[in-house]
Amino acid sequence: MREVVIASIGYTRVSEHWEKSLKGLFMEASLKALENAGLNVKSLDGLYVANAFAGYLQRQTNLANIMAESLGFFDGFAISIDSGGASGGIAIHEAYNDVARGIRDIVLVCGVEKMSEASPQDVLLAQMSVGDQEHFRFSGITIHSLAALIYKTYMKRFNVKQEDIALMSVISHEHASTCSHAQFPFKVSLEAVMKAPIVSDPIRALEIPAPCDGAAAVIVCSHEKAKEIGLPHIKIAASRIARDSFNLNERSDLLAMEALVRASRLAYEDARIKPSDLSFVELYDDYTVMGVLALEKLGLCEPGEGVKLLKSGEVSLKGAMPVNTFGGLKARGAPVGAVGVYQAVEAYLQLVDSAGANQVKNARVGATYCGCCFNSIVVVNIFERCC
Amino acid sequence: MATSAYWRTRLCRYRLIGNRCQSCDRVFFPPRFMCPYCNSTKLEECKLPDRGRLLEYTIVYSTPKGYEAMTPYVVGLVELENGVRVLAQITDVNLENIKEGMEVEACIRRIPEQLEEKIICYTYKFRPVIK
Ligand SMILES: [Zn+2]
Repeated sequence: MREVVIASIGYTRVSEHWEKSLKGLFMEASLKALENAGLNVKSLDGLYVANAFAGYLQRQTNLANIMAESLGFFDGFAISIDSGGASGGIAIHEAYNDVARGIRDIVLVCGVEKMSEASPQDVLLAQMSVGDQEHFRFSGITIHSLAALIYKTYMKRFNVKQEDIALMSVISHEHASTCSHAQFPFKVSLEAVMKAPIVSDPIRALEIPAPCDGAAAVIVCSHEKAKEIGLPHIKIAASRIARDSFNLNERSDLLAMEALVRASRLAYEDARIKPSDLSFVELYDDYTVMGVLALEKLGLCEPGEGVKLLKSGEVSLKGAMPVNTFGGLKARGAPVGAVGVYQAVEAYLQLVDSAGANQVKNARVGATYCGCCFNSIVVVNIFERCC
Repeated sequence: MATSAYWRTRLCRYRLIGNRCQSCDRVFFPPRFMCPYCNSTKLEECKLPDRGRLLEYTIVYSTPKGYEAMTPYVVGLVELENGVRVLAQITDVNLENIKEGMEVEACIRRIPEQLEEKIICYTYKFRPVIK
């Protein structure tokens, strides 16, 4: 297996980009990644496009083909990845495998999402469309209501208050406050979070991401190729995917999150690291409680101690285990299918010391995790400083 | 939803019918094509018990189009008498009277789905057992 790296990045701010289309966002991020590397589209031999909702919200299917056309990418391989919030991570996983096995040398991965021009109710339906439509459509079960069941189970089992879990949102906003590509680059107080309207009891509106638009792109290539390009690059040390039962009613324990445990342990093994070796972690905090649970499932603390870790301050940028270093889903923003690629971009910025005010000191190795439908699919990618 | 798609799920929606793996005896709801535990495709229809208890619930305020008239409503995780769990709306209950562990039973209620043929659609929900 060859050594695989990320040799260039490009991204848009996460925002409501009224003036930009799905294609416009894709082009902006992709062209930046190519330009940064001084590469022509002709030098690519693969394109992965990650997206969750275009089929539903823009009625645009066949995404990779459409985007390859826009990019003038005529003689290569272009594939769409459609796995909800896991899409971006899976696209990177595929590119990594292609390059590691020597199937392709240089691959562009772009995650793109456009949610701002749909009504909030359509966004809610799109979010629910990742579930099994045959049985859950028009059951009244919303994605937020499922998260609420997990949330309440967590509070009871570990005897913690909502304030303790909601702190996740405050920390993410604090990190986003100095992040120029964040959707919400400002701080929020715990009081404000706790006073926000309830979406599904007990979840408050400031504990979940807002609809947004954005695109992020990375160039995945072999180590030799990166040295040829002569740009800073980071190593993809591991990439693992795991699945869990899709329907929450079929999981014996709502808090088990088995796929996240499995994918992360396999990834640590591949990368030959322990959780404590990580310099930073980017979580898939689509709900505050999912972020807290992830701290535990990733092995950063003991079960039930996620809240303790949050309160300890160790997860802040200056702590021993910084998480969501640019604001995570809540504050950097969650362009769903693009999230995994934004996380890779952020890992790149940290590991080539280009994270500015958000720089984690002596960052050596970072993990990113994204998932779909309460971790029914999980991708854990591990990145390392190179050379 | 297409009328045929609604029609195909009628046994689940009206009668809580799932299926049982003939080789390992596990019961699935909604029904599966294959048992994920032993990979058997020999599954038989199986009527689930109508009664169970409410394991956990949430009051839903942010709801999709069509649900305005019933918002806020309750969604719960119900464990039926045979141990099978079902996610559903909890109905016929005042929000202040609902609690975990309460006994519930299945009932049929209208859902805000519009089929082209203007058929009125129904699905299972759960309500408190009145003693
Ligand atoms: Zn079986």
